[in-house]
Amino acid sequence: MRDIRRVVVVGANGTMGSGAGALFAARGFEVAMLARTEDKAREGLARAKNAVRSDVIESHMSCGSYDEALDREVARADLVLEAVAEDLPTKNRYFDAIDGARRPGTVIATVSSGLSMAQMSAGRSDDFQRHFMGIHLFNPPHVIVGTELISGPNTDRELLQSIKSMLRKKLGRVVVECRDMPAFAGNRIGFKVLNECAQLAEKHGVAKVDYLIGPYTGRAMPPLATIDLVGFDVHKAIVDNVYANTRDEAHEAFAMPAYMSRLIALGHLGNKTSSGGFYRASKADKTVSTLRPASLDHATDTAFDKVGFIEEMKLLHHVGRYADAMELLLAAHGPEADLVRRVVFGYVSYALSRVGPTEVAADVTVVDQIMGWGFNWAPPSVLVDLCGRKQVVQAMNELGLKVPAVVQDLPDGQKLSGQHSNIGRYFVAK
Amino acid sequence: MATRRSTQDVYILGGYQTDFARNWSKESKHVVALMREATLGALEQTRVEPAEIEVAHVGNFAGELYCMQGHLGAFVVDIDPAFRGLPTARHEAACASGSIAALAAEAEIEAGRYDVALVLGVEQMKTVDSKRGGDFLGTAAWYEKEAKGVEFPFPKLFGKLGDEYDRRYGLKDEHLARISAINYENAKLNPNAQTRSWFMSYDHACSTGQYNAKIGGRIKLTDCSQVTDGAAAIILASAEFAERWAKRMGVALDRIPKVLGWGHRTAPIEFSAKTAQSHGMQYVLPHTRKAITDAYERAGLSGPEQLSAIETHDCFTTSEYMAIDHFGLTAPGESWKAVEQGVIEIGGKCPINPSGGLIGAGHPVGATGTRQLLDAALQVSGQAGDYQVDGAKRVATLNIGGSGTTSVVHIVGTA
Repeated sequence: MRDIRRVVVVGANGTMGSGAGALFAARGFEVAMLARTEDKAREGLARAKNAVRSDVIESHMSCGSYDEALDREVARADLVLEAVAEDLPTKNRYFDAIDGARRPGTVIATVSSGLSMAQMSAGRSDDFQRHFMGIHLFNPPHVIVGTELISGPNTDRELLQSIKSMLRKKLGRVVVECRDMPAFAGNRIGFKVLNECAQLAEKHGVAKVDYLIGPYTGRAMPPLATIDLVGFDVHKAIVDNVYANTRDEAHEAFAMPAYMSRLIALGHLGNKTSSGGFYRASKADKTVSTLRPASLDHATDTAFDKVGFIEEMKLLHHVGRYADAMELLLAAHGPEADLVRRVVFGYVSYALSRVGPTEVAADVTVVDQIMGWGFNWAPPSVLVDLCGRKQVVQAMNELGLKVPAVVQDLPDGQKLSGQHSNIGRYFVAK
Repeated sequence: MATRRSTQDVYILGGYQTDFARNWSKESKHVVALMREATLGALEQTRVEPAEIEVAHVGNFAGELYCMQGHLGAFVVDIDPAFRGLPTARHEAACASGSIAALAAEAEIEAGRYDVALVLGVEQMKTVDSKRGGDFLGTAAWYEKEAKGVEFPFPKLFGKLGDEYDRRYGLKDEHLARISAINYENAKLNPNAQTRSWFMSYDHACSTGQYNAKIGGRIKLTDCSQVTDGAAAIILASAEFAERWAKRMGVALDRIPKVLGWGHRTAPIEFSAKTAQSHGMQYVLPHTRKAITDAYERAGLSGPEQLSAIETHDCFTTSEYMAIDHFGLTAPGESWKAVEQGVIEIGGKCPINPSGGLIGAGHPVGATGTRQLLDAALQVSGQAGDYQVDGAKRVATLNIGGSGTTSVVHIVGTA
């Protein structure tokens, strides 16, 4: 097993490529940034410097184009990080080139957010397959430390552990190992909730859904604003992949809402397009208008009545009484309370049901850490501990949700979460 | 003034630090939420019941300015129903507030008034922008003379400390850059450090430019500790309670950290008055030196050779540079030798700030003194995780308020 010193980033001009390059260079690795043209690679390098706010990382970095530099750089690399477009045929083209140029023993990692590792490694050389893995970083990588590590079907077990240790110790990552299943753990669980909220927006309106499932429910950002940040196109790729390739109790929650597909066709992809997504910011008069899913236009008059128990929960979070706030949620009456409980405990149910010998996560820590450090959402078992096991089981039964085995089997008085502290950061009083 | 030894042992049962990377204004939180998380965390870590706490001392610098909220001692009562009627007080000595709160609690335990005390340091600072916050911090100096109308007064004052060293002994900025890089490197091992995922290197700390601007005099951005929000709580106890607690926890009493010695001295508030007083003397800040030697004497130690590590007040790299010779790790003016020889790095003879210190771990002003004491206790009980100093037995803390004005030293150890 080779010591990792030289890293090549393929797709260095993209968000993940430039971010990953910054991470490695900042910790003293020699990094070659590669893109279609050298100028594109230089754009990635500029973004990397801006991300870590330093000029000096440039001394560890070089830039080049695929045509001119890929063979040379890959041949002397210890790790090749693939960060090109999230599309299997595209990725396979680059893997062909990488496999042709690499020395035996060079590690190849993909930053794919959920494509099949098995399909990416199938038919390649034995040495490639033994040294191939997924390192799924979250955006932006210099801020979000949660990282998924995914083994391919034939990845060397010892190598995987040594990369895990390097990511943790040298790059400061919180690393979880996921099984090779569509969207892995974080996006599988996260986009179930996000897409469910997008579905709910058709009936309840965008602003109201973001209010009901707002940061006070245990997340840094409201769900539909999150989709705007991610981009409708990326969102669609993730939920379509899960919808087509999995069968579980929440299958229909992954059905892409038709109105969102129509917006994509019209070129509205979220924050990355000036026409916006769920929200459209007008630079001219500094207003934000909100999407009306039925008519596909944006309006500023989307006022709604605030809900009593939600405002009370925010006041409790404000003074640090997180468990008391959750008690209010459990006891609240009315259709809004039902909706919030359905989404929040639906998330807990779905996330913890993904733990098991044939599921994406081997244990609770995997889903907790990736939701906490990858999404900035309250980890599901933190919610269980805050509410109490009995109360959570009762709420799930009333809502017709699956009670996960790890919740069902939890002995009285024992906490499900290994995280007893620093949980307040998830409960934003907004 | 003779140094009297403590009459009774004061134990540190443990405590809790909030994640100093958090921005509690972004979370839309009141300062009581910080106090609550730290206090409940300390109770959970030590398995001390709320009803066992007999008194609470809160260290806080400027709640009135940052949060429009004074009287923070009273908020402790709000944290648990068992705290109703608890005697509480808030203490202020600028950046040394947390240590002053601890000294008050120690004195009460030594006097036999109480057996168990909660000491809580807290500051919420991200409520205002950096310029306004810099002006607030100016009230830790003589505001009218040193800070009024001055942008970022404190970097300038600690730049002058560097200049004074330069005049008396010579000072190279590369040694300050090394101090910064070590603190950032250590902070990467600390899961509660503000800068744990920030980029830093010696080369970057040596550079000057758009990403490492000069803030005041010779002080650059990388020489500064950063403003943040945070709280740290520790639980102090008498020997009598510690003995019962040790049995309950199934640990030997002599494994529980205690305060071996302390020092507390105050110099004139104005920086120029300090250097005028020390003119022609070996130590640039003689009152800080005295606080350190008082603590050695009370602990019965001959000097730094009997320390396993130091948690010092590196509000700026120059204050850590000062601490190195003032603790006696080198002769006066020769701090650079300890920097060059790796003495202050983890693995060195006397690591300084294995936690990352104020530069790496963050400096929520009122919380810093209690955070240092907590880290010292974690080190000597072998619970500091990835930033543990192997076999640490005695750890000193130096907490400074103002421009070297109020100096508080503690030596914490198991023997």
